[in-house]
Amino acid sequence: MLSFLMPARRGSGLGMALPALVLLLAFFVVPVTLLLTRSVTEPQPGLQNYETLLGSATYLRVFGNTFLVSGTVTLVTALIAFPVAWLLAITTPRLAGILFGIILLSMWTNLLARTYAWMVLLQQTGLINRMLMAVGVIDQPLQLTNNLIGVTIGMVYIMLPFMILPLYGVIRKIDPAILQAAALCGASKGQALRRVLLPLAAPGIASGALMVFVMSLGYFVTPALLGGTSNMMLAELIVQQVQSLVNWGMGAAAAFILLVVTLILYALQLRLFAGRGV
Amino acid sequence: MLMNFDKLGTWRWVLAGIAVLMALFLLLPIVFIVALSFGDSRWLIFPPPGWTMRWYHELFADPRWLQSAWTSARIAVVVMVLSVILGLLASFALVRGQFRGRAVLRAFFLTPMILPVVIIAVALYAFFLRIGLNGTFTGFVAAHLIVALPFSIIAITGALKTFDPAIEDAAILCGAHPWEARARVTLPAISHGVFSAAIFSFLISWDEVVLAIFMASPTLQTLPVRVWTTLRQDLTPVIAAASTLLVLLTVVLMIVAALIRKGKSR
Repeated sequence: MLSFLMPARRGSGLGMALPALVLLLAFFVVPVTLLLTRSVTEPQPGLQNYETLLGSATYLRVFGNTFLVSGTVTLVTALIAFPVAWLLAITTPRLAGILFGIILLSMWTNLLARTYAWMVLLQQTGLINRMLMAVGVIDQPLQLTNNLIGVTIGMVYIMLPFMILPLYGVIRKIDPAILQAAALCGASKGQALRRVLLPLAAPGIASGALMVFVMSLGYFVTPALLGGTSNMMLAELIVQQVQSLVNWGMGAAAAFILLVVTLILYALQLRLFAGRGV
Repeated sequence: MLMNFDKLGTWRWVLAGIAVLMALFLLLPIVFIVALSFGDSRWLIFPPPGWTMRWYHELFADPRWLQSAWTSARIAVVVMVLSVILGLLASFALVRGQFRGRAVLRAFFLTPMILPVVIIAVALYAFFLRIGLNGTFTGFVAAHLIVALPFSIIAITGALKTFDPAIEDAAILCGAHPWEARARVTLPAISHGVFSAAIFSFLISWDEVVLAIFMASPTLQTLPVRVWTTLRQDLTPVIAAASTLLVLLTVVLMIVAALIRKGKSR
């Protein structure tokens, strides 16, 4: 038992991992494997579920919606998160503490509570529409819920912390001396931003962007509540096939596609950022 | 230059402006919900014509809300306890263990955190229908435990890595049984990690929606399931009242977590 007296026994400690291992095998690996096999066995053996999914315009639109919303959400969160993370890295600890408090509060507030707030805020007679009309930007209330605009706003809200936190981690570690050197060598602020700060922050931006994109691809709650039935995303399609249509083969096939895309992007993230500590 | 706030010149105001707008954006829904829950407009007009406690009365008058909150709390506590115990054991194995494939095992333990929860929900739903766990307390706990465990393992391994095993060895040399040394020396030293694991696990289970929608039965519903089914019918202010109480709980837990962190740094 004494780590410095005894040579480490091979295999020691594995026993303690056993309970967690058994739990994950029984309630994670087995169920997911069983589900995925149903995609090629129901209603009859073969790949027809995948052919239907990837061959019909209806389902391709679902994939299109999913990638469109996830891409937009990633882009918008990155544009907001970069200046905020930058400010967090260089401002006083007191101000940074307040901003972090707000970020964590919004992150840990119940997901349904936040989504409910946006449903009310964005509806036709909601605060946002009435404020825009009062200011005179629009004459008619905009349709902001039951479409992909609502989904995008709601998801940007949820994903912002997941972009700010990794970006902050990277920018905080940048040595201010490097930017001083850029200034001494005559770089303007714009040049220093474009050619020094942004490239140095790029790993953080890429890692945050991949994470937000992957999380958005499989998101269910916000699209279901803010998107309406005519603008479905992939997770909603899976739930609809399984719950309303009881079409397990199709639901499983859609789940498998989502799983594969997620794992590929995750592997990409590991490969790109392995050992960089982000 | 760019890493010094005072030397940013006019750019200071651009950064500060964006940060203020983002803070308002993040706070808007939370403040809005709290205000709405006291407003007396059933149609959620804002600002409301008057103020009332009516939605809180309706919330507490309906036994189904309290019942579902009680179910949520029971499930979350059991998940919290199991997640901490399994997380502790797994973390000892991952940090101290001497076996091949530790990195692979760690990656495997964290997989449920990466996969979209909707896949796990549908898979468990099919599986539980087959083995008769659907709509049961056990089924709920198992489902939430799967997604809570990775967070517990991250929090505890993080704390355990910074603790020097030599101190545990010293206790053993002084005559403590290895398990006694673990319980009375190591465990108190990593208690901040254990507490974070407990809070994370509790909150994950308490707030979880997607798995819960699939695990629920008409007689066994958690609070998020109740909110979800109500939301699908109408946007009643009663939900604003329920949400406000949930926000309050989040704030309390955040303060507790901050105090724990402060205690650790002292």
